[in-house]
Amino acid sequence: MSIYKLHYFNFRGRGELARLVFAAAGQTFEDIRYERNEWPSNKSKMPLGQMPVLEFNGTQLPQSITVARFLAKQFQLAGKDNLEQAKVDAVVDTIADLIVKYSPARWEPDETKKKELLKKFFAEDLDKHLQDLDVLRKLYGDGGPFFVGNHLTLADLYFYNTGQNLLQMDENSLNNYPWLKQNREEVEKQPKIAEYIKNRPDMPY
Amino acid sequence: MATYKLYYFNARGRAEVLRLLFAAAGQRFEDSRFEQNTWPSFKSQMPLSQVPVLEVNGTTLVQSQTIARFLARQFLLGGRDGFELAKVEAVVDTINDFVSILSPIRREQDEKKKKEQLQKFLNDDLPKHLQNLEILARLYGNGGQYFIGNNLTLADLTFYDAGETLLQLDPNCLNNHPWLKQNRLLVASQPRIAEYLRNRPKTAF
Repeated sequence: MSIYKLHYFNFRGRGELARLVFAAAGQTFEDIRYERNEWPSNKSKMPLGQMPVLEFNGTQLPQSITVARFLAKQFQLAGKDNLEQAKVDAVVDTIADLIVKYSPARWEPDETKKKELLKKFFAEDLDKHLQDLDVLRKLYGDGGPFFVGNHLTLADLYFYNTGQNLLQMDENSLNNYPWLKQNREEVEKQPKIAEYIKNRPDMPY
Repeated sequence: MATYKLYYFNARGRAEVLRLLFAAAGQRFEDSRFEQNTWPSFKSQMPLSQVPVLEVNGTTLVQSQTIARFLARQFLLGGRDGFELAKVEAVVDTINDFVSILSPIRREQDEKKKKEQLQKFLNDDLPKHLQNLEILARLYGNGGQYFIGNNLTLADLTFYDAGETLLQLDPNCLNNHPWLKQNRLLVASQPRIAEYLRNRPKTAF
């Protein structure tokens, strides 16, 4: 009977960050995955009619990044003190800005329009956002491969997952950003994360 | 002894919740405000060319929500433990969900289009979001008048500020939400906050 239960769809989406935090921490949890056709009958059980929802000791917590931040703090993956936590948060918020920017293109149902929107995003918007992340790792990192200080935090896990989405849309998107590429490799080779990635369902999004 | 310097426009915008945090805590800080015409000369000094930015003891923090959460933790306005902090953040995220829908509408240049989008927001989107906030208040609020537990937190300050913007657009939009109305009145009546609201610069937004 786990004190942690995560409710989300059976894909990565907005739930994967929480799963990566559990994996990095080596923490067991109930990974409750819903297929799309199961959702309508379960929607009203979630406080805001949305997922992911974390159940912690029986209390429900919505909002994907809040869930991930809470778990990261529980498992010492959020930054060593209040100021470091703020540095991690700043990177996380900046990654979230990037996701907001590419999402309309990524989810556009019309194939022709999607192609145009993606082209525009990669030509006009991507660089500013990746440069911003580079600025922050220089400001908050200690010259090492992690975004903040010298250790793996939520910031690295979030960029790992988001980078996967970017590379899916354009496999060359990180070519001009060697530090960001290296950062993802660093995350990937952490033994618990490597194990998790090997065993998780392989989902396109 | 921490020293704080906040950089933002001479406006409420994305910084007002930070100023409310300082006010609620009775914490002095340098409230550095610039006008639109001096912004270009400040812009290049900000790590991500954006504001608000907070300088605290030699560290530069970016991202308004990161700064808000940091200050809430510093000033014990973030709940009494890690899970309460997460509840505070879940409410803040839920408020920001509708603020982020509203922002591009307010920036719309075409007056006719803006009016239509605003009506749609007020009639179709906002009621659901306000109901979501009421759900969370019932889930986390211990039956009292604050969002989480029985104490003022960042959640109440964030709703106070967002509510001000909503009421500017439609003075009646909270009429069917007595708990939310009462919550704002309670925030405004806290002595330090009342004093701050009386004395702050009056700006259009």
